[in-house]
Amino acid sequence: MKILVCLKQILDPEIPPRDFTINRETHQAIQGSANLVTNIFCENALETALQLRERSPGEITALTFGPASAEDSLRKALALKADQACLVEDDPATSHNSATTALVLAAAIRKLGEFDLIMVGREAGDWGAGQTGGLLAEQLGLPYVAFVDHIESAGDGVTLRRQTELGWEKVEAHLPLVVSITNSEENVPRIPKTRDIMMSARKSVTSWKLSDLGLTDDEVKSNGEALEVVDLYLPEKKSDCDFIEGDSIDEKIDEFAKRLASIVQSA
Amino acid sequence: MTLLAALNAADATREVMWNISHSWLMYVLLVPTMLIAGYGVYRQVQKWRSGQPAARFDRPAERIKRVVKNVLLQQATLRDRFAGVYHFLLFWGMITLTMATIVVMIHHDFHIDIMRGRFYLYFQSLFVDVLGVLAMIGVAMLAVRRWLLRPKKLVYTDESTWLLILLFVILGTGFLLEGWRIAATNDPWGDWSPVGIVVSKTSLAVAGVETLKSVHFLTWWFHLALVFGLIAWAPYTKLLHVLTAPLNIYTANLDHPGGTLKQIDFEAAQSFGINSLEQFTWKDLLDLDACTECGRCTSVCPANTVGKQLSPRDIILDLQGLLDRSDLASLKAQGHGERPDEYEPAFPIIGTTDNLATEALFECTTCAACVEICPVSIEQMPKIVDLRRFQVMEQAEFPQQMQDAVSSLEERGHPFKGTQLSRVDWAAGMDFPTIEDIESPEVLLWVGCGGALVDRNQRSTRALANLLKKANVKFAILGREETCTGDPARRIGNEFLFETLATQNIETLKTHNIKHVLTSCPHCFNTFRNEYPKLGGEFEVMHHTTYLAKLIGEGRLKLDAQAAQKIVFHDPCYLGRHNGITDAPRKLLQQVSSQPLAEMEMHGRQSFCCGGGGGMSFVDEPADQRVNQERARQALATDAETVAVGCPFCTTMMEDGINTLKGDRKINVQDIAEVMWEAISSEAR
Repeated sequence: MKILVCLKQILDPEIPPRDFTINRETHQAIQGSANLVTNIFCENALETALQLRERSPGEITALTFGPASAEDSLRKALALKADQACLVEDDPATSHNSATTALVLAAAIRKLGEFDLIMVGREAGDWGAGQTGGLLAEQLGLPYVAFVDHIESAGDGVTLRRQTELGWEKVEAHLPLVVSITNSEENVPRIPKTRDIMMSARKSVTSWKLSDLGLTDDEVKSNGEALEVVDLYLPEKKSDCDFIEGDSIDEKIDEFAKRLASIVQSA
Repeated sequence: MTLLAALNAADATREVMWNISHSWLMYVLLVPTMLIAGYGVYRQVQKWRSGQPAARFDRPAERIKRVVKNVLLQQATLRDRFAGVYHFLLFWGMITLTMATIVVMIHHDFHIDIMRGRFYLYFQSLFVDVLGVLAMIGVAMLAVRRWLLRPKKLVYTDESTWLLILLFVILGTGFLLEGWRIAATNDPWGDWSPVGIVVSKTSLAVAGVETLKSVHFLTWWFHLALVFGLIAWAPYTKLLHVLTAPLNIYTANLDHPGGTLKQIDFEAAQSFGINSLEQFTWKDLLDLDACTECGRCTSVCPANTVGKQLSPRDIILDLQGLLDRSDLASLKAQGHGERPDEYEPAFPIIGTTDNLATEALFECTTCAACVEICPVSIEQMPKIVDLRRFQVMEQAEFPQQMQDAVSSLEERGHPFKGTQLSRVDWAAGMDFPTIEDIESPEVLLWVGCGGALVDRNQRSTRALANLLKKANVKFAILGREETCTGDPARRIGNEFLFETLATQNIETLKTHNIKHVLTSCPHCFNTFRNEYPKLGGEFEVMHHTTYLAKLIGEGRLKLDAQAAQKIVFHDPCYLGRHNGITDAPRKLLQQVSSQPLAEMEMHGRQSFCCGGGGGMSFVDEPADQRVNQERARQALATDAETVAVGCPFCTTMMEDGINTLKGDRKINVQDIAEVMWEAISSEAR
């Protein structure tokens, strides 16, 4: 089975709140002291792919669309024994959304060849839109199953387990197929062996620019026009503490009840 | 006795081989005896030689001193009173008896007339007899311990039983032979052998001289057969330690135990970490054969104490078993080749027994209590780390929570996955410079992840910073530029990550031209002091307890309030045992407390780990196997009202343990810096 896993490099979502800042003009988070990490759900997707390959023979390609630094995510995938890796380098100055990303990924996938299974993370830890998988399937004209946490190959196709609000659904699907992967106890990302980390530095990574995919900046941008970020701000955390005054405990309770009622009514 | 006065003491001697014909047969028998024993030793020596190189013959003066202390004077062995005493008696008893036998040989076979006069009377008769008795007492104590007291830490094997019986019979027949000789030869100097004369008189009371001569003859050959048998068998038993223990003590690690982990050459190493016997150094292999099965290591192991699988003694003994069954010498010719794609261990170790299973290896807190207590200088803990390295770097198979810590170290430079704190949150509202603002600080305050990123420890770090400000110390912090020293990565077994973090830190400190580092974390302290120099990072590092003592000594810091509460100090392993600093914290505490310090039974270099070392503070232990609760129990057994610590990891582990177990008792856990800051009155602040 030929598997392609899309990875996204993001700002470390575990950065302490005090260290997190944004640029309200460009609508971007500022990196500051935060590191760049691979989005956790993308790592779950890669883990699911690795487990699938352990059960039945296959080949894994890791693909990312991002700045040059995103190569680190690919190196880590190679250290975990992905067979090949491809970076589509973007201009760090331009901002992308799910739609533009899906367009670029689809073009890259077509150029990379035929795949049976294309896996993306459920959503990214930075914007949390969760749209790329569906839009990518649309671009490629393939069926799409979301929130999958387990995959078994079955005959010509696959059996998928997907999480729903109420439990799990078991889905049978033909290939080729796009799936989005969510986390479960089974797909906790493994960590690479040190020797494989060292070896991964020597492996080659295919690197393309948009023009290599026959795309122009304008084309990409126009595909994302349906969505516009109007404002980006840090919610202000406010907490107040009032002490209820009163001469007797009864008076205090009365006042307390009134205040509670007014808060509930206003909310 | 009447004759004695008439005899000239200068002529005193005794007859040798008076009753033995064909005594040359003894030397004929000695040849196969020595061949069998020699082969036993040679076989092991060849195995040790298959190990990797290790430089353990430098500083001969220090090594000889160590041998005098721990072999001749038996200091380390004597730390266990009962076992120490009988071992001392047996050790010197057997040496004396062997010397006496050699004296006979020189006298009789080399025809050098040394067994005469006062030397004969004082040494060969009296002294040897007394030491023989002491050795017998030793054997008796040994028997009492093995058969009556039966401590859990011993290994009960048939081999031990037979060795004990053999020793007893050899010593006993020796005394019988002496007594019967005195009786049969009517030895005028017999009174100089107190045991011999008693045997002589008792025997004469029940048997005639001719009978004694016959049983003497038979017993003499029996005694000889047993002695030769023991010599031939010894190298194949734990008695091999008679040779290996002194050698092991001579080649011991002379440096701080905290700095003993090996460095890996990542370009050349066949595998990262160890999972095959020949990957150990010759000293590691010698360690295995030096073990006397005394079990002290396991009896002080915190993980074992709370009922976990880990047992340093059994790790050593199981490795020894593997070594016995492996033909290591056959590998020697292969040498080092190109690093294979997938490393295949020639003599696999991990998982071959329960004691060598991954779970057990990752229960170690690297506290090194085992290394400290071992009477023959075996280094158990570094071997555990060697094996961990293989699981971490070659297999990537180790406890999930340690994996999380390692991933966090890789991605964020600290091991606390999920912390909401930043490196400078603790300093909020305090006014002091970071390294950006200050040209050349007196010291750099290395806060450490434990001091900055754990809620509880922010208080301790603030107290320390306040004390420094009070003493007008021109200090700075690195702030967000600081990352983990790499200690947890190294102890968990990710040497690669340790080197990455260490190199990065050394670079940062050099860029800022830092010379003096102050830290409140003994793990950071140990890394700076013992490990960074090997990677090119030479900094003068001080633990805050030493530094605060220095400030007080120089009169820069004045304490004006005394703590009324009773204080007990918990020695952090990486401060006390690993680096030998046990006095400075106690002196500090004694200055602030109006009461004498309490002491836990296990303290100083023999302290008991809080459970937080070796990456264990990131792991949730089973509820009934928590090391911190065991240590908390030990602290609660004192009448202390404050448990003072000098390590952020100890602080949280001890506080957690104490709070779980204290019930209604008023007792708290504080870093020394907090205790000190409270000893400065609010007016003086």
